[in-house]
Amino acid sequence: MTDNANSVEQTLTFRPWWIYFLRNRAAAVSVVFVLTSLFFALVGPTFYQRLLPAEQRNLRNGVYQDYDVINGTSSAMHWLGTDYLGRDTLTRLFVAVRVSLLVALLVETLNIGLGGILGLLAGYFGGWVDMLISRAADMLFAFPGLLLAILVSAVFGSTARDLYGGTGRLLLVATSLSLVSWPLMARLVRSETLSIKSRDFILATRGLGASNFRIIVRHILPNVTWLIIVAATLDVASVIVSEATLSLLGLGIEEPGASLGLMIFRAVSKLERYPMQVFIPAVAITTLVIAFSFVGDGLRDALDPHSRRIS
Amino acid sequence: MWRTILRRALSLIFVLFSVTFLTFIVSYLAPGDPVRNMMGGRQDPVRYVFLRHLYGLDQPWFQQYATFVLHLFQGNLGYSFKYPERPVWDLIATGVPVSLKLGLLALTLSLLIGVPVGIFAAVHQSTWKDTSIMGAMLALYSIPSFVMIPIVWVIDLALYKAGLPYLPVAGWGTPLHVILPVLVLAAANVGFIARIMRNSMLEVMRQDFIRTARAKGLPERLVLRRHVFRNALLPLLTVLGPATAFLITGAFVVENLFAIPGIGYLSIQAIGQRDYPVIQATTILLALSVVLMNMITDFGYTLADPRVRIE
Repeated sequence: MTDNANSVEQTLTFRPWWIYFLRNRAAAVSVVFVLTSLFFALVGPTFYQRLLPAEQRNLRNGVYQDYDVINGTSSAMHWLGTDYLGRDTLTRLFVAVRVSLLVALLVETLNIGLGGILGLLAGYFGGWVDMLISRAADMLFAFPGLLLAILVSAVFGSTARDLYGGTGRLLLVATSLSLVSWPLMARLVRSETLSIKSRDFILATRGLGASNFRIIVRHILPNVTWLIIVAATLDVASVIVSEATLSLLGLGIEEPGASLGLMIFRAVSKLERYPMQVFIPAVAITTLVIAFSFVGDGLRDALDPHSRRIS
Repeated sequence: MWRTILRRALSLIFVLFSVTFLTFIVSYLAPGDPVRNMMGGRQDPVRYVFLRHLYGLDQPWFQQYATFVLHLFQGNLGYSFKYPERPVWDLIATGVPVSLKLGLLALTLSLLIGVPVGIFAAVHQSTWKDTSIMGAMLALYSIPSFVMIPIVWVIDLALYKAGLPYLPVAGWGTPLHVILPVLVLAAANVGFIARIMRNSMLEVMRQDFIRTARAKGLPERLVLRRHVFRNALLPLLTVLGPATAFLITGAFVVENLFAIPGIGYLSIQAIGQRDYPVIQATTILLALSVVLMNMITDFGYTLADPRVRIE
């Protein structure tokens, strides 16, 4: 702000966004952490089981109940110990992180698809389209925090389980959470679209005879992409906590499935004797959430054309 | 000014309509026949018809909704499915003061801690004090309540083992029972409020009239107290709504893990019993509390800031 005079030259040198992103050390470390978590969530359980000879592998599959080592501490067989049913904690942790990330992916897909498209339409067309979409978003905004997600997953939970089992519950959690997420996305995209729509280059494009569809897809969408990416990344942190909260309250992922919230809930009553069983998933969720917040903040600083730091 | 009030009133009506309508429609769409579920093994056709009529389930949906809203205005929240012919209000009446006490105490505590911390960080902007405090606040804000609870339990346990005075880990009744849940509920909000307060202070400190105040030789303490603080307090009003929403989501977890018979606890009980009228009632009550907080914010703003009145 203050040193405009000597920063003009630097503004003119173009640098790709990821240079700015990686310069933010917290964001750079966090993105490595997130990618590592993703890698282990995907291949961790298989890899961990393959370390054993074939006939012992099921001891570590996260579902097998090893009654010899109930509430076991860390050992050569079970690196992070076992839970109250003698299931391998490390495998369950990998699977739980996988569930967290999968739910986050599903929610953000719905969030971007629904919130992004509706926001673009509302901002671009205005009038009754805007009226309709904005009021729908306002209706959902009326519910504080997780309340609507709690209501929806409570009412449809048992049906989802009866129809599609564990997958059904997971999809229901994702749907109910995206119900909470998309209005914010739509509102952000709408206001950015409004400001871009009034710029001269859009007028010029229209003068050249471009259709509405072309203007939206080729000219407005590229200018709001950064916003969509940043908003979705920042939302991931709260989705991970929300999924864990729903599962902890018995409304989300159920046994024998694994979720960080469920793991904490099962272990918290035996906190005094087996604190590690709470500690492990608690550390996992906290670091994941903080990492995603840092990545989101870093992306915003690097991608937001209004706030690009020049240094 | 009257136009502002009218517009606020209209949006309030819309919000109330949204909350009741969505809550109603979600429960209406709930799969299964609640009356058949309720009667269990003894399916008496006469009683079936009677109960359907009692709950108004024999009417078309719009009529059910109209009756639902009409009853709400009369303070009648309907009848429980689980305990037939018992009004919902009877079931949740005991929970309301409990949750209210918990929420108000947590909100007060988080304001009492968050505001001074935010001010302190802003006054020492970009020093190690600011960075470390804001880092701690970010951690408080990011750590989910179900992770915070085991942490306070472990600390409490350490106190107990050391022979020092300790607090009851769960339950409700004595004033001592209140302390841990309120601390946990307030923790996340402290982080949130401190950040808002800091930003708000910095925003004011950048303005010209602060430079003027300093230039005319006013001691820094007086500049901060008379000019910065008073103006920075106003934006803090806006956090009341989001903070309450935050508290509500937190209350679900805190009440269930601490076994506190508040609204969040009763809701989860009702969800387990598929008692939709109770779920509807608690959802609407909680949403109403946020609506109320937002209204207080609006009126507070109109009273405190003449610029809002002129608009």
